Amino acid sequence: MRTYGFFVLKRFGQLLIVVFLGVSATFFITHLSPLDPVEQTMGRLTRQSGFSPEAQEAMRAALTELYGTDKPLLEQFYSFWSRLVRGDMGPSLLAFPTPALRLVKRALPWTVGLLTTTVLITWTVGNLLGGLAGYFQNSRLLKAFGVFAIGVQPIPYYIVAFIMLILFGFLWPVLPISGGAGMFVEPGWNIHYALSIVHHSILPASSIVVVGLGTWFLGMRALVSNVVTEDYVTYAEFGGVESRKIVGSYVIRNAMIPQLTALAMVLGGVFSGTIITEEVFSYPGVGTLLIDAVNAGDYTLVLAVTSISIATVATAIFVIDLLYPLLDPRVRVR
Amino acid sequence: MKMKTLTGALVLAFAATGLWGQIGGLPREESLIIQNPEGAPSNPGCFNLWWGCGGGWSTGLHQLALDTFWYIDPNAGVDGVIHNSLAAGPPEYNDDFSEMTVFLRQGIYWSDGVEFTSADVVYTVESQIEHPGATWSGAFSTNVESVQAIDDYTVRFILKAPNSRFQSVFSVRWNAAWIIPKHIFENEDPTTFEFNPPVSLGPYTLHSYDPNGSWHIWERRPDWERTTVAEFGMPAPRYAIYRHGIPTDRRLIEMVNGDLDMIHDLTPEGTFSIVKQDETAQGWFPGFPYAHPDPTLPAVVFNTQNEKFQDKRVRWALALMLDAQTMSLASYRGAATFSAIQVPPTGLHPDDYHEPMQDWLETFTIEAGGKTFQPYDPEVTLRIAETVRRQFDGVPEDEQAIRRSFGYGWWAQNLEAAALLLEDAGFEKQGNNWYMPNGERFTVELGYSAEGVMSRLGSIIVQQWIQAGVDATSRTDPQLWDQMFMGEFDAQIGWSVETWGGHPDLSFFLDSWHSEFVAEPGARQPARNWQRWSHPDLDRIIEEIRTIDFNDPRGVELGQEFVRLTVEEMPTIPIMSYNVFSVQSNRYWTNFPTSENNYANPVTNWANGRYILNLIEPASR
Repeated sequence: MRTYGFFVLKRFGQLLIVVFLGVSATFFITHLSPLDPVEQTMGRLTRQSGFSPEAQEAMRAALTELYGTDKPLLEQFYSFWSRLVRGDMGPSLLAFPTPALRLVKRALPWTVGLLTTTVLITWTVGNLLGGLAGYFQNSRLLKAFGVFAIGVQPIPYYIVAFIMLILFGFLWPVLPISGGAGMFVEPGWNIHYALSIVHHSILPASSIVVVGLGTWFLGMRALVSNVVTEDYVTYAEFGGVESRKIVGSYVIRNAMIPQLTALAMVLGGVFSGTIITEEVFSYPGVGTLLIDAVNAGDYTLVLAVTSISIATVATAIFVIDLLYPLLDPRVRVR
Repeated sequence: MKMKTLTGALVLAFAATGLWGQIGGLPREESLIIQNPEGAPSNPGCFNLWWGCGGGWSTGLHQLALDTFWYIDPNAGVDGVIHNSLAAGPPEYNDDFSEMTVFLRQGIYWSDGVEFTSADVVYTVESQIEHPGATWSGAFSTNVESVQAIDDYTVRFILKAPNSRFQSVFSVRWNAAWIIPKHIFENEDPTTFEFNPPVSLGPYTLHSYDPNGSWHIWERRPDWERTTVAEFGMPAPRYAIYRHGIPTDRRLIEMVNGDLDMIHDLTPEGTFSIVKQDETAQGWFPGFPYAHPDPTLPAVVFNTQNEKFQDKRVRWALALMLDAQTMSLASYRGAATFSAIQVPPTGLHPDDYHEPMQDWLETFTIEAGGKTFQPYDPEVTLRIAETVRRQFDGVPEDEQAIRRSFGYGWWAQNLEAAALLLEDAGFEKQGNNWYMPNGERFTVELGYSAEGVMSRLGSIIVQQWIQAGVDATSRTDPQLWDQMFMGEFDAQIGWSVETWGGHPDLSFFLDSWHSEFVAEPGARQPARNWQRWSHPDLDRIIEEIRTIDFNDPRGVELGQEFVRLTVEEMPTIPIMSYNVFSVQSNRYWTNFPTSENNYANPVTNWANGRYILNLIEPASR
């Protein structure tokens, strides 16, 4: 138990280092970007307005002071970490002086809700069908599904999403094609809003599932195809063990380990959002927020999104590392 | 069976909650649904645009809920180009334009029942000056020495220096300095206050908004008669719904499905498609080219601080290498509106500039290699119309109508004259390649956006220059505009000319072209003289404009003088207006503005589009 505790502590230390290095790298990359948030704000304000050159200069000087972009980079770096350890990510420059964290908190539930649901659906169904297809290789139904998966998987996601949008939003317009919920529906914990969210998520979620299912299916089928040739499976079959038990306890369970690692990685990545889904269906989420922030040179907001993403991916891997010995008896802590 | 029951229950549940349609419980026939091109605001619950805070501008807020002194229409306007909105009349200046007095309308009320008075104006100016970084802080702090409320309905601005165009700060083109409700803001920190819900001075007030930024809904005020648009009648829609951030392809679907009434813009192809598919859809022109020409003039902007482009003969040679018809077909599929002069061919400008200057343009000559050329081709737009007539319906037949929609003419491609001009400038041609006087190859890197009609335009210009012997290359860096501001470019498809549109005064862009604002090489150039070009005659014109009244007829004469100077000097190659393919559906509402009924600009994000709501009518009427 002491050994396991030391292992946990060591991995936790690594986690902290990874997060610090990842967030710091993002800080320097965003701050070395040629995009100047002051100029981006100036562009938005002056693009179509009649500000005189003198007024523009006065504005530029005031914004530079407000945003603190004239300070040395190391001073900004120190200030950033001082704030971050207190849970303050600073004001968004795109929506100054609104706290960046507030914008992320508003967008995050949509992304996490949509992606967690779709990832879990695709992972469960894809792996289950893939596992069965790998074991019952003569099943016509599973073969047909394999053909479907191979057919759909190479199609770019954007195309699939757009085809679904045309089918169910234009040719047979039965599903809403934009937004996270209907207009005129009071947001909150009520049945109208909940149904509206489900209704609006059908198309974006289906598009992700249709494309994502094939990846898990094909991966699992390949893994199982290798496992079924193992001696212990052959031995179990000769020993008269039930097929259901062989598939569930011997084959899929063993093939599941790498899929579980991949699931953790994908779930961690959920916090980065799905930019294309959000763009195609005007679905709210952090992906669009991140793109807008990058285009506007709003590095505070970029840092807020990426810091959360880095921390969650690193934490997901940390948790999986801790769970591995429990899932796979072959892995033992030395 | 269980599955069917479950599906049926879900369908019924959705139907019962009234969520099947896009607008749920709102009465469709009383709602105008408008696409806002601004994109989803990052902080949709913020309405304090005097500070920013990410709430968005054209969410309906600056079109329907805010107000200021004057509106200048880019077209003819509802009742003349200038509408005295919160001001009772035009501004009154003293003799040397160092003071501006504004008499305010009486009987105008904020939506919470408080009367609008001069105290609101004084508060607006003083609070903006007190908070550097606020949206209009620079505009006020550089101009205003003090502002006084003479009485409840009279305001006097004491200016730091004479400025005959100070009223432009309060004149709406796309926007202007909006008046702040003093009684709301004076008890708040204006830098963090979100102004939610906003107290409105316009005819609509906030009904609801999507916390995720997809839409804002505005409802007509019961006391709309106490707002400045009341003189044009009651705004017809009870609800105005602004939907943000809809991709181009989906706009088309949404309109066909009846979920959009006004589209800000489509691609040319999208427009041609929707007017065929949906008989209720209309553009600005009744037929081809459909698009509304914005008072913005896309041009080849040269960096005249670069040695290569300092000689006007070189700039002219590059202009004469271009073929208008090829550019039109490549960029707008023929739906371009050309302008050979530095004024956009839109709004009322053709009456003040293009039409009266035709004779001068037709007789204008350039000298090259001892020969004289007349470069202007008044027939080219007629030929373009003939070409597209074979492909599209509704191309006008009447010559005047063609000139209004395709432009009055452009420069004829003349490779001989271009070559002689370059030779006069010391260039030498070896084979089909031009070399500069210093012996180096004549290279031009043209920057343009990576997609859209401007990308197509830039690409065809590069091809034509290459064919004429220039080593032309393309650049589509996402930071193009920033590089142009810093002077780090050869040439770029951009626009340094933007006008009021409906009013002939050119100071909106021209004042910033004065040589006093030209930045040193490597330093940032303030908007809008991106070409960093200066000329003593230009300074003289600008300085005289500064001394005359906004409505002085001498302004047009000076404007025409500016046009003649820039034709001779060609500091940029003006090409065409920025044509916006705005589309409206007549399914639920009719009487949207058109070229024949040009009372407003049909684009949806300009604040002066507010009058459209007063003039449209229910289709069922």
